[in-house]
This record gives sequence, C-alpha cells and structure tokens, in this order.
Amino acid sequence: MYAYNQFDQTLVDQRVEQYRDQTRRYLAGEIPEDEFRVLRLMNGLYIQRLAPMLRVAIPYGLMKSQQLRALAQISRTYDKGYGHFTTRQNMQFNWPTLESVPDILADLAKVQMHAIQTSGACIRNTTTDPFAGVSADEIEDTRPWCELIRQWSTLHPEFAYLPRKFKIAVSGSSSDRAASQVHDIGLHLYHNDLGEMGFEVLVGGGLGRTPVIGKTVRQFLEPQELLSYLDAILRVYNLNGRRDNKYKARIKILVNALGIEAFTEMVETEWQRSKGKELRLPQTEIERIKGFFKAPPYLSAAHASLDLKAGFAEYPQFETWYRQNTRDHKQPGYRIVVVGLKNQLQAPGDVSHQQMDGIAALADEFSFGELRSTHDQNLVLADIAQRDLLALWLKLQNLGMARANVGTLTDMINCPGLDFCSLANAETLILSRQINETFDDMDYQYELGEIQLKISGCINACGHHHVGHIGILGVEKGGKQVYQFTLGGSAANHASLGKTLGRSIEQDQVVVVIGQILDVYVQLRNIDETFLQTVHRVGFAPFKERVYGPHQRSAA
Amino acid sequence: MALIKDQQLSLSHTTTPEIRFSDWLTEGETGGDSVLTNGEDDLSSLLANAHKLAMIAIEFQTFADGRGFSMARRLRADGYRGEIRAVGDVAMDRIDFMCRVGFNSFELRDDQDVDQALSKIGEVSVHFQPSADGKGPAYMV
Repeated sequence: MYAYNQFDQTLVDQRVEQYRDQTRRYLAGEIPEDEFRVLRLMNGLYIQRLAPMLRVAIPYGLMKSQQLRALAQISRTYDKGYGHFTTRQNMQFNWPTLESVPDILADLAKVQMHAIQTSGACIRNTTTDPFAGVSADEIEDTRPWCELIRQWSTLHPEFAYLPRKFKIAVSGSSSDRAASQVHDIGLHLYHNDLGEMGFEVLVGGGLGRTPVIGKTVRQFLEPQELLSYLDAILRVYNLNGRRDNKYKARIKILVNALGIEAFTEMVETEWQRSKGKELRLPQTEIERIKGFFKAPPYLSAAHASLDLKAGFAEYPQFETWYRQNTRDHKQPGYRIVVVGLKNQLQAPGDVSHQQMDGIAALADEFSFGELRSTHDQNLVLADIAQRDLLALWLKLQNLGMARANVGTLTDMINCPGLDFCSLANAETLILSRQINETFDDMDYQYELGEIQLKISGCINACGHHHVGHIGILGVEKGGKQVYQFTLGGSAANHASLGKTLGRSIEQDQVVVVIGQILDVYVQLRNIDETFLQTVHRVGFAPFKERVYGPHQRSAA
Repeated sequence: MALIKDQQLSLSHTTTPEIRFSDWLTEGETGGDSVLTNGEDDLSSLLANAHKLAMIAIEFQTFADGRGFSMARRLRADGYRGEIRAVGDVAMDRIDFMCRVGFNSFELRDDQDVDQALSKIGEVSVHFQPSADGKGPAYMV
C-alpha cells in the first residue's frame, strides 16, 4: 500500500501543529464558537451528545497492521478501549476530550494517519471496493487512483469551504461494491471498445434527505485527466451550489436544478480551459503511484492451495464460515476473508482494542501485514492462502470474530443513533440488539440468503437505509421514537432507492415487522430468487397486507 | 483596519474600493480601476473585464462562503496580475489558503492580530495542488 515520503509526513506533521494552535486559541477564547466548529469539523471532531467524537481517516479503507495497533493504543489511552468503523471506511472514537485531540493527531501522524477532512463542507475520504486489487471480477485496480485523489483533495485550498460535504467513490469491477451511484461523484474504471482504460464519471448521487441515483456526466474520461476533470466539477459546484439552505446544498440539488445536460455543459466548458495543463497526470506519476500497489509475494498455487475437505469434516462450522465469509481471489490458491464486525455483543462496526490488536497480529501472520475496512462496517483480510484458512478461523474464534453471517440479515449497517449522535432522532443500537436476539437461528439466516438490512437513526441516512434491501429509518413522532420501513433499495450495479412500505412502526414492533416481511418473502419466492428480486417482482402489496392488514392497505 | 499585502503589514496602500462590480459595469470610464465583488456577481463578466482593473476586492460575506476562493483562482488562471484583496470575514485561519488561490492582500477582521496572521502564511509548507505561489508537487510544476 501507499507509504508516506518526507513530503506527506511534513504535511501531516505541520497540520497537527496548525490544529494544536487552533485548539489553543479556541480554549483561550480567541476563536468564536461557530468558526471553531468549522475548523474542528475539517479535522473530524464533532461534539456529540455525551462527548466529542473524533473520526480518523482510513484512506479508501486500507490499513497496515501497525496502524490498527496504533488505533487500538489510542482507544486505550484517550477513549474507552474501543473504536467504531463507519460507512466511509473510517474509524470513530466516541469519548476523547477536546483538549486531547491534538495529541491524538500527533500519535496518528507517527503511523502515517490523520483526521483531515473526515467531516466538514469539503472533499471527504474517497471510498472504494474493499476487494480492490484482489477480487476475481476486477477490471482495474482502483487503489492507485484513490491515492491520487487523496493527494489532490488533501488540504485543497480552493475546495475547503464548499456549499456542503463532498464524497467520491471509485469502482473498478463488474460488481459495484463501492456504492458509487449514491455518491457526489462516482467513478467507474473500465475498458472502452478500443480497449483503452478510462473512467465513466457519475455525478449527483447521494442519500440523506433527498436520495438520488447519480447521472453520467462523462461516458469516458482518459485517466491522465482525472484530476483536471474533478477540478472542473468541483469548481462549478463551489461557484454555483446553493448556500442558503444546507438541505439543498449538495451537488445533487444543483444537478437536478440545472438538468444534467446544462450541468455537463458547464463542466465541459470549465474543463476545456484546464485540461492538458498542470493537473494532467504524467504517466510517470501514475506508474510511481501504481508501484505502491504491486501484488504481494504470493506463494505459488501449489504451495498456497490445500484441499479443505479434511478441515470441513473436522469442523462443520469452518465450512459454513468458509462459504459465508470468504470470497474468490484472483490469485490461485488464495481467498479473500471478510472479518465480520456484527456479533451479538457489540454494536455493528464496533471493535475492541483487544480485537484490533488481535486482527493486526493475524494480518501480520497471514495477510502480508495489511487489512481493509469496508463500507458495510466489516474488516477484510485480503490475501489468505487456502492452507492458512483453518488456522485463521480458529484464531478468529478466539477473538469472537468468526461469526459466519457476512451477507446475511444480521450483517446489518447501523449508524450509532441516539445513543451517541446529536443529530439522531431515534435509537438504532437497540434495534440491532433486538434483531440479533430474535433472529439468532443462523440456519434460518442462511436459508434467507443475501439480505442487506440498513438502519439510520435520522434522515441524514448515515446507515444508508435508502439502499437497504430492507431499510429502517428512525424518526421522532409526538415524542416517541418510531421507525419507517423501506423495501427494495440497493447500492449495487443496478442501484435502486427503497420505497416506503407504509406508516411508521413502534420500537417494540420492529422485529415483528421484519419477521413478517421475511415470511412473505419465504412464501412467495421462486427457486433461487433473492429477497431483492422477489420484492421487485411481486411489488409491495403482499408485504403491506401482511404488516398492516388487508383493510389498512389504502391507509398506508 | 489592518491590511496585509504581499506577506507583510501594509501601512500605505490603496483603500478598498466601494464601488460594486455591477455598478462599475454601468458607469463605464468614470467607475475607476478597482471594484468590490463577491460570489453573487457573474464571474464570466468579471473575467472579461479584469484587464481594465488594477484591484479586485473579493468580499467574504461569511467565513464559510467559499466562492471567493474559486473566483481568485480563476482570475489568476486567466492571467490576471493585479491586486486581489480579500475583504469581509477574513481571519488568520483561512489566509494561507487564500494566498494559495491567488489573493495577495487581506483586510483582516477587527479581532485579528496581524503578526499572528502573518505567521499563518505557509504554516503548512508543502501542498498536493498546483498553487498561485508555484509550490505544488514536483510533477505538477
């Protein structure tokens, strides 16, 4: 993976001292509250309901083992011994003090990490496919391009005070695992009819209050002009995006107001002035960055492979885990392993300091010292030789991280909700607990197949409920926390936004309704039909009827 | 009101123009050679007239209004060599970014300390972007 040179290190070190001085001046009363708010947000520091929350950047989800160890150490020193992985592949600490943040940032800088632009109205952490560089269906490795975007967007002087936050995702496989169609900019690496590699550029996707699927602004962009084209989009947005209403300030609102044709014309006009100039990436620079993402020294297929039958016979649960939590690797003899962070005891995405240290050790032992975080709040050990799988599984069991539920109902995305977040309207963590208690029969979950359950505690949609096969949105009504269900959403290739099932459900009825929805699916599905396919085929009527009763169908 | 120009405290300098760009457009020759503008004005019109102007003062109505950054960047990219002055809600925590997009004078907000503000220029000494000051990454220069 990418390693800092003196240039990167200087930037991060100086940024720490800059923020230290800003904190000092704020505490001395020299920076007004509203101004410091913007400065601290640009460094990932929120003030939550109970304590500040610091969001640490994990650029495109890639980490070295020593970085995860440093996060574990920070959670022990400054927090309560755990961290939380977010849907932007970052890590949040829920209990640091405002005064300690400059020291935390200094500790992070020692392991080439930071919290730059993890919040605020600026370009956020670029996200990508957690299987980049290793998945069997990959067209092109996205990581070098993410790194180029990371560098270009870091402390960008022109785009630090945008109308609103700005998120970029990059996908380079036949299956979109980066939710690229619901980002401000989605980039798809592909080969055109001439066999040339380039980007399809989508713009104006997003979730939140106004969910929108992104639209194509350029069908094919030559990769050397990636930064000049992003620069043109950002400038059009910075100059023209609405600043009078924060709920109308995202680029999707601008794109919809202008229409994609007029927006495209503005971007192209801007780009004609800047393409081919200083932001054009020389091939030497592209190759230099690609050099950081070369394949690790894999064993030959003969050495890496192992017939797993004996292991499966001895440990049936190992076979289940293999089927559920590992994926095809492009290197013969290797598997991609998803380490789920969705057990019965912890909030989705939470990880204890012991688990962080434990996973770091497993990455060192089995996966070339690297690991990844995913947008659905899990971890990935990307390069596991088949012959190591059983040993890895046994060790994951000791860490309480071998639950074979990846892709199932309980592998849910869940924002922290009202337990932590000052924006939330409703609790979400209680739902994940209830869901885990109610649907504890793993065989039932396997039988249901792939179901993406996504839960948000407010309309800001950090839990991506719009693109959940089943989405749940917490809202407050008359002082009570109630939950709206959506069905049929997806962030995969043919992205779709879920539609509201009907009126809101009370907290203690949420698991009942999930059970009813699943019953309808099991009754109506065709052979080999997934939940999402069934919803799209049969429509909402049978689900409504089951949940609300036949006489209430129209009331919904 | 303290003014920083070309990275030092400026004691003798032209006053910030009071004529707004939209008014200047209608006044023709009598409008003078400096204007006050902000993100509400039409940038393409400003770019077309920039060669007639010795100073363009860009007003930040609030510190969170980032349009002025793109305006300055575009003026410099188009070859404008006159003075670009930041006025309005201008504080030390944005002055470095303002320098990098092409501002070269700053009318600081009243609560700002000039020496402290000067120390903020170049506080982060390396950048990943091409800048008006020519200090971008090696491959971009």
